Amino acid sequence: MTNQSAEHEDMHENSPNSPAQAHVRPGDELEEFRATVRAWCAEHIPTDWRRAQTGVGDEEFVRFQKSWFAELHGAGYAVPHWPREWGGGMSVAEQIVLYQELAAHDAPRLVLAFVGIHHAAATLLAAGTDEQRRRHLPAILDGEIWVQGFSEPEAGSDLASLRTSARRAGDSYIVNGQKLWASGGKHADWCLLLARTDPDAPKRKGISYFLLDMTTPGVEVRPIRNAIGDSHFCEIFLNDVSIPAANLVGAENAGWQVAQATLGAERGLTMLELAERLGNAGFKWLVQACPLDDPIVVDRLARFETEITGLRGLCRKVVESADLEMRGVAGTAGPADASIVKLYYSELLQRLTDFGAEISGLAGLTELTKPMSSGWESGSWALDFIGSWEWTIPGGSSEIQRTIIAERGLGLPREPSVA
Amino acid sequence: MSREFEEFHDELRSVAGDLLAKDRAVAWSVLVDAGWVGLEVPEQFGGAGVTFAEVAVICEEMGRAASANNYLGSAVLAIGALKALQPSDTRDRLLADVASGAIRVAVALEPLEFVPDAEGADRILVITNGRVAEAAMTVTPQPVLDETRRLATVTADGVEASEVLRFDGDPHKQIKRLHERAAVAIACDSLGLSEAMLGATVSYAKVRQQFGRPIGSFQAVKHACADMQVSISVARQLVSAAVEAVAEDRPDAGVATAMAKSYTCSAAVDIAGKAMQLHGGIGYTWESGIHVYLKRAMLNRSLFGSPAAHRKALAKRYV
Repeated sequence: MTNQSAEHEDMHENSPNSPAQAHVRPGDELEEFRATVRAWCAEHIPTDWRRAQTGVGDEEFVRFQKSWFAELHGAGYAVPHWPREWGGGMSVAEQIVLYQELAAHDAPRLVLAFVGIHHAAATLLAAGTDEQRRRHLPAILDGEIWVQGFSEPEAGSDLASLRTSARRAGDSYIVNGQKLWASGGKHADWCLLLARTDPDAPKRKGISYFLLDMTTPGVEVRPIRNAIGDSHFCEIFLNDVSIPAANLVGAENAGWQVAQATLGAERGLTMLELAERLGNAGFKWLVQACPLDDPIVVDRLARFETEITGLRGLCRKVVESADLEMRGVAGTAGPADASIVKLYYSELLQRLTDFGAEISGLAGLTELTKPMSSGWESGSWALDFIGSWEWTIPGGSSEIQRTIIAERGLGLPREPSVA
Repeated sequence: MSREFEEFHDELRSVAGDLLAKDRAVAWSVLVDAGWVGLEVPEQFGGAGVTFAEVAVICEEMGRAASANNYLGSAVLAIGALKALQPSDTRDRLLADVASGAIRVAVALEPLEFVPDAEGADRILVITNGRVAEAAMTVTPQPVLDETRRLATVTADGVEASEVLRFDGDPHKQIKRLHERAAVAIACDSLGLSEAMLGATVSYAKVRQQFGRPIGSFQAVKHACADMQVSISVARQLVSAAVEAVAEDRPDAGVATAMAKSYTCSAAVDIAGKAMQLHGGIGYTWESGIHVYLKRAMLNRSLFGSPAAHRKALAKRYV
């Protein structure tokens, strides 16, 4: 390159400290919306929330999460992805802008409401009855908290082999079994539950999908301490728990198909939000933590910035493609793109937080708690690194994702069946 | 990108793919007749008047076929350089002559080494000191491991330039844009060759049997292919962004180029290497042709800025 000064100036156009990489077209409605969101963020995001939320107990965490949710909801920003009639109705292009700006302004993350606004809502909208929707969607907006009861001790990657049983008895089902890795279980009001209703059917064909009131007698929640020391993962023990038949979602034994709607909610915009967080606050803190006079260090930073940029592009593609499909137009995403995004995000997060932990050295290891309600990259790099396995293991481990990419994406032959 | 353009690109891609798959070496006249050389030449000079986005489609197909031809030096760089010049009779005539195939031009950027497609070119535009000189030059071929590209060292014969052409606007900026265009063209090439290598590997893994089953049913093989696919997906995002930025001459073109070039050209070497590995012994033979792709990927990685050099440019923004 011949002219360093021109180049230098040019590079600043897209500085990592600038909030969003989208190029501005004057007069653009989207840019007006961006300005509105920016102004809202500046006014409403609590200053210094990170320090205030570091080392707080459960009660304060729940209070803060609920108040932040209410704040977002008041602006119409809590459930932009829901249909208009239920309180959402924002275009996908606007949602992308919203998540970019929330990330750029380092807004607290919705941890507690997450399963409710994404998984529960997606499930009810896809397969719930009108009565179920009317009962729960407004309640979620009022702060009803949900947990996902899918995995079991013997049903992890092989989810369809789950054993929790539900036996029909009159107008109810009697449920017995044990659920594992239920994030946020101890704060949950309701649970999305998968249980086996036909033990004799092939394993995917004997599962049903239920809405379980967590206050029902026989439900016991025990927190599991994870590798960071937090206890938001829980075990749920179900002992002769009675669920009204009206709380069945979809047909009996059609729970596996219904569950696909739940799992589908983990893709798309939820990933876009995480990628935007990684690209904004996450990368900015990493740069701040690094000795920038070390050429090896800055080379790694440039590598990460490049990879994050690629990830953000991929997430936008998946979201925009899903939106096209919703409107009856052929999408542009490949059959395994959601898996590619999940795999790439989680492993990039792990490598990036590992690098942050290495850079922060011994001082990083003296941080014993990280701010609650923060993203997966909070700047407490050592803890963030340990926490990154929460992305590479659940929701289909990296190994499962690679298999999906190879089989569904590339058409490679399936593993010979053992059963 | 609008649907109309997508369809145009798909058609261009399909025609180019078919034509380039016939023979490894493709004559200049074939490229001219296909209309690819004049893609970016304004219609008044006999070209198609489209943008770098369409040239990028061709570059990707060149990589997919590991095609041996003069497109990089004599179309991508030559047209880019000519379009960056102040309009003049000479410039306009050159544009028209290149588009029609009457002459073939090469472009030598400093330090005048590893100049693509200079050998046998009718004219050489030498870019030094912020201007473009057309002078009698000595072209010394520089063989490299990659036999699909023709590179040369260019030296002045000691006579004064026969003609000096001036850049339109800031010469530094124009030269920088020319470097970016070259780097993105190479990134497109590496993306195309990566996809070719993944495609060949997946096809082979589906039919090659060992232990009584296709090797593609083993997780070790499957997961390696998945990793290739992930890299390609990320590379495609970065390359698309860079192509768009260069085509629209956007201020963020430098950043997008550095990202696309560094990531894609590194990934392509890994992908071609993994293709060789997964093809087993046959992959290491001369006959399999995988070495052709690996060598081209290695050359691409080093041409027009190494990954480290591009990342260094990115990192200047952090301070």
